[in-house]
Amino acid sequence: MKIKVKLIGPLIYETGFSEKEIEMAGAPTVEAVLALLAISTHRPKIITRNGKAVALHELLENGDTLAISPIYSGG
Amino acid sequence: MYGWTGNILRVNLTTKTYKKEPFSEEFAHKWVGGRGFASKILYDEVKPGTDPLGPDNKLIVALGPIAGIPAPNTGKCVVAAKSPLTGFYGDGNLGTRVSEQLRKAGYDAMIVEGKADRPTMIYIEDNKVEFLPADAVWGQGTYATNDWIYGKYGAGVGVLNIGQGGENMNRFAVIRSLEGRAGGRPGIGAVMGSKLLKAIVVKGTHPIPQADPAAMKALGIGDLKKVHKIDQETGWSKQSTTGVLQFCNEVAGLPVRNFRKTQHPEAWHIDGERLNNARVATYGCPNCTMRCGITIHDDAGHESELDYENIALLGSNLEIFDLPQVGCLNYLCDEYGLDTMSAGCVLSFYADAVDHGATDGDFKFGDAIRAKQLLHMAAHREGKVGNLLADGSLRMARAFGHNSEAYAMQVKGLEVAAYNCKFIPGQALAFGVSPIGAHHREAWIITFEINHTTRESYGPEKAAKVIELQRIRGGMFEFLVACRFPWIELGWPLDNYPKYFNTITSLNWTLDDMWATADRVYSMIKLNYLREFPNTDRKADYPPAVWFDPSNADKEGPIAGKVLELDKYDGLLQHYYDQRGYDSRGIPTKATLSKVGLDAEAAEAERFATLT
Repeated sequence: MKIKVKLIGPLIYETGFSEKEIEMAGAPTVEAVLALLAISTHRPKIITRNGKAVALHELLENGDTLAISPIYSGG
Repeated sequence: MYGWTGNILRVNLTTKTYKKEPFSEEFAHKWVGGRGFASKILYDEVKPGTDPLGPDNKLIVALGPIAGIPAPNTGKCVVAAKSPLTGFYGDGNLGTRVSEQLRKAGYDAMIVEGKADRPTMIYIEDNKVEFLPADAVWGQGTYATNDWIYGKYGAGVGVLNIGQGGENMNRFAVIRSLEGRAGGRPGIGAVMGSKLLKAIVVKGTHPIPQADPAAMKALGIGDLKKVHKIDQETGWSKQSTTGVLQFCNEVAGLPVRNFRKTQHPEAWHIDGERLNNARVATYGCPNCTMRCGITIHDDAGHESELDYENIALLGSNLEIFDLPQVGCLNYLCDEYGLDTMSAGCVLSFYADAVDHGATDGDFKFGDAIRAKQLLHMAAHREGKVGNLLADGSLRMARAFGHNSEAYAMQVKGLEVAAYNCKFIPGQALAFGVSPIGAHHREAWIITFEINHTTRESYGPEKAAKVIELQRIRGGMFEFLVACRFPWIELGWPLDNYPKYFNTITSLNWTLDDMWATADRVYSMIKLNYLREFPNTDRKADYPPAVWFDPSNADKEGPIAGKVLELDKYDGLLQHYYDQRGYDSRGIPTKATLSKVGLDAEAAEAERFATLT
């Protein structure tokens, strides 16, 4: 299935891209996508699927957009 | 008494006189500094009904015990006055060398009274105060004024100045300092202008009194290095505050088209990644090791320093997605000395009002060229339209009628910061109960709402979070006077701040002492408000009506079909009042005021209004 991944803020520079579409077999969890892209879960992040918060264990569906962001605090 | 100089400088522009007034240890411990000093002094000295743009209003410049000390991030000062935009206490903070220089000159605060008889600059050097003509730069922008001052005194002095916006008493004019620093959103720059005061320049030569200077130096400089290291490791300052634009766009919280939309497919053109790519310089405040001022060349070739609030409100909110054009609008606001947030909301309201037939006009969303002309007109109060714009969105709406107040994006007259709360109830509450109007400085809980509770909730946990953050953001950082960014953006632990405070003062305060002081200061601001608006009710704490309008719901996206619900919002507001100890109007009860040590101030308020 195809998942669009968007990275926000400093994660772009750690990972080397800001947005790309990835192909994964089956119905991967959010955690599996992070592992595939070697995105560290070391620092707190907020992850949304189609604009809504999603947990690491949740399964993704074809066409989902996953946005991964540091925890912003509104300046 | 360590940590405070123990003196306030009182300057009278009418009589060209000044005096150094000592304050007591009790006053210092009760109000600490910054917003604490300012809210108390204005309550005592500016009587209700005073014309904010008349000579009886007073401008306060206030610092706190850690202001100007080398430590994270202490290069800030608070400016305050009765606001010409909101009609009650207003303030703001800005990065400036005044934080250090005024303290070295021997003062923790300054009160400016009266009105000069010609454009004037106040020059302070220790015990000497001079009233100098500023005709040469009257009519000039803030950059030229700053250069003129540096040419006279060198670049090491502390400077506060205004542009044409302040001179012409635009109600959202700010005070400016350094390259990109601005503060005093509720028209504090207009108060300076009303006094014909173009600039304040400060040079101090004495050490700031501290209990243990050597220990503080080691602690502060060591911590500045640690903060810098965290910033480098996290990469926060690659995009600084602007990273949040894509986040807001993703979760349907971005202001687009006067907040009518919450997302836009073109938003990436003005996001943090594009901004970082276009960066030509980086600026920061004194005593900062995580500099956030990303500067680009605007479409006219000026250097323009941008942050999230101005790219969102002068960009997406006006449907302008060209970064150099947004940069130019921002540059013009800085040059004229206008608040970028209110400017963005005022322009978007005007376009929306034209769009909805509430007024005639030729301004449309997306028109950057006309937006630049309108900013010029607003700063100079040119013509009918310039005068309307200069008075802010609430007054414009009342002039236009046609129910346009519903989409004037403001609370208590102060325009909303760049977070679209069409369906973010807790942040809508944060704007509603911000003590000075819709400022994001007091509390920002959007990630909490999305990540730790549910967006749909109107529960007491959101009211509690708003209060927790108000005590920190609008409280402790505003009376100690330091920038909140090391804590809020990099996770620098909060307990460092009582450590700095105690090292400087030799006191033994805990964070709980900070929160108690924060509650006192908030209550003080509420009494300032009540005395001006004795017939107030809870509706003053409602956000703009358009956020409750089902016809304004998004048609698609994560919040499709949803808007705030008024009865539920009112319930959330009641949670806030209950937890705060406020009455059903949103005013602290007598018991609450007594608990925070404001019995005398309560008695004064009862001369004008009812307390319960």
